[in-house]
Amino acid sequence: MKVVRKVKVKNALGLHTRPATHIVQLLQRCKSDVRFIYKQDSINAKSILSILTLAAKKGTLLTVAVEGEDAEEVMRKLSLAFETGFGE
Amino acid sequence: MAVFSQEVVLQGTSICRGIAIGHPYFFTLPEEMVPEYGISVDAVHEEIARYQLALDRGREDIKSLQDRLRRECIFDGVAILEAHLLIMQDPMLTTHVEEQVRTTKKNVDYVFQMIMKKYQKKFDAIKDSFFRERFKDIQDISRRILGHLRHGAHRCLKNVPANSIVFATDLTACDTAEAQNDCVVAFVTCSGGATSHAAIVAKAKGIPYVSSINFEQIAIEKDGWVVVDGRTGAIIVNPSEETLLKYQELRNQLHMHLEKLTQTGKLEAETYDGYGVQLSANIEMCSELDMLHQFGGSGVGLLRTESAFLTKEQLPTEEEQFAIYRDFVEQMKGLSIVIRTFDLGGDKYLRNQQTIESNPFLGCRAIRFSLREKEVFKAQLRAILRASAFGSVSIMFPMVSSLSELREAKAILREVRKELEAKQEPIASYIPVGCMIEVPSAAIVADLLAKECDFLSIGTNDLVQYTLAVDRSNSNLSELYSPTNPSILRLIRLIVSEANHHGIPVTVCGEVAADPRFTPLLLGLGVHELSVASRYLPIVKHAIRNTSIVAASKLAEEALLLDSAADIEELLNREYQRNAPEDRLYNLFNMNL
Repeated sequence: MKVVRKVKVKNALGLHTRPATHIVQLLQRCKSDVRFIYKQDSINAKSILSILTLAAKKGTLLTVAVEGEDAEEVMRKLSLAFETGFGE
Repeated sequence: MAVFSQEVVLQGTSICRGIAIGHPYFFTLPEEMVPEYGISVDAVHEEIARYQLALDRGREDIKSLQDRLRRECIFDGVAILEAHLLIMQDPMLTTHVEEQVRTTKKNVDYVFQMIMKKYQKKFDAIKDSFFRERFKDIQDISRRILGHLRHGAHRCLKNVPANSIVFATDLTACDTAEAQNDCVVAFVTCSGGATSHAAIVAKAKGIPYVSSINFEQIAIEKDGWVVVDGRTGAIIVNPSEETLLKYQELRNQLHMHLEKLTQTGKLEAETYDGYGVQLSANIEMCSELDMLHQFGGSGVGLLRTESAFLTKEQLPTEEEQFAIYRDFVEQMKGLSIVIRTFDLGGDKYLRNQQTIESNPFLGCRAIRFSLREKEVFKAQLRAILRASAFGSVSIMFPMVSSLSELREAKAILREVRKELEAKQEPIASYIPVGCMIEVPSAAIVADLLAKECDFLSIGTNDLVQYTLAVDRSNSNLSELYSPTNPSILRLIRLIVSEANHHGIPVTVCGEVAADPRFTPLLLGLGVHELSVASRYLPIVKHAIRNTSIVAASKLAEEALLLDSAADIEELLNREYQRNAPEDRLYNLFNMNL
């Protein structure tokens, strides 16, 4: 199963080390393949290093593509995390 | 960075005397010089395992750092390090690196660094400075991993072009040990003190060494000339024609002076009024013994047993040690040798020794280490006792700080001896046992130690460091690290008088023993034996032969009345100038240079 949707970076400092850590921890146990697509880059969302290279500031619109058996659940959790600004 | 075409003089601290003229050779940090080489298909697995081990070690570092921060209640730091731990599990740093090793068949340190460089490029391209700054975390992690990866394959000074002046931020004892005299003509570093182990090794090799030089400020042409004046601690970049000639002449003069002194092998080490001194050598390697015999040393006053093993992954077995010690003892050709048990810890660690203490010089080093690692200690004592059957051996314990330590060490020695005797191993019937006095507490109770020792040996390097509470490798404090401090003179006098009272001899085996300006002072204070790096035997013998015990005693009395290190130093300099005016290595007065 593949789910694709756009999410907005809402927290003040953007996707810096702590939010990236948060995302990776969230995805640690999921089975699906998760990718963030921004401008011409498509990166593995389970890699902190790759997330950081996006340099996504507050207000950035990212495309999230999740593919795998738990895709829907993963997308739900991930959207919530973006929505709540990773608790920042 | 400014480029100079004119002569530039940089003033640093003198570590090892001598003059050198050569071309710069930049000896860089491990992370900057990762070699690239291909590996065979069979080695891929091993290479990946090596990488995983480096990651594991990096993780352990971070976890112990976290523990420390937690104890100090710095929770922000703990959270940042948590991110570091997670980044170390990042697929880009784990599976991706491993894949790249498999496909490129290159060594993993190189592969790893290439990947990190790619990231650096990506981060450098980011316009937002906040995100660009995030790379610092990654760099930190990358350094940590590379540090562990490069641990086994350390940088090396073996293959350096001839006439090189080695420039480095800092040097280890291993670095200087690898340097070859005909290739490396001098060392210049940013940090490092006069009695660091790197410096001791450089001195033993007679390679001029200047530290506290901030050479990164200026551009030094690779094929340009550099003059190093190890006597004054100055280096001259882009020397003028005139300066070059002046130093070439001086270098030749010094060379001739030293050559002349080396002819003294057959002469006795005695003052001109006939007071005989035991002049022996500090030794690390068997190859140094040739020089000892050539220069007429009276024996080995200090064999540093740990040196031969520092570059190894683990401590040697009893058999390996026995073979080495027997070799030393046999090559002494009947002369006596003092074998000091392992002095590990402080700034001397085995390669893979894991425990990192926050203050190693006040930590578990030398005899403390041996008394804890009893099996290691016993194996060493067995090896020494067995070697004693082949010549004249004494045993010395390093860094004893109380009588109870000496008693415990001696009890273990007796126990080991009994075990060996029960097995009918041949052992010398009499083996003198002594201890080093390098901690003020030991000096203060010298009377108690003298009662239970056959000899005492003063290690001035540590004694000065511990008495004055000055880290000997901290170049910012180098002016405080002063062996002429009145407190040091009083301690030496105290130790000598207690030893005399109990009828046992005292040796000085620290760096001051090898400095001819100190020779009359030490003799005057009542020291019986000086033990110096073999190379310095002729210089010190010359100093002994050019003084009298009467003058030396008077000098010591006068020095004990002075109240500052500077005054005492000046007194020693003046005396030396009088005794050996032709020596331009140590006399810097009344000279243009």
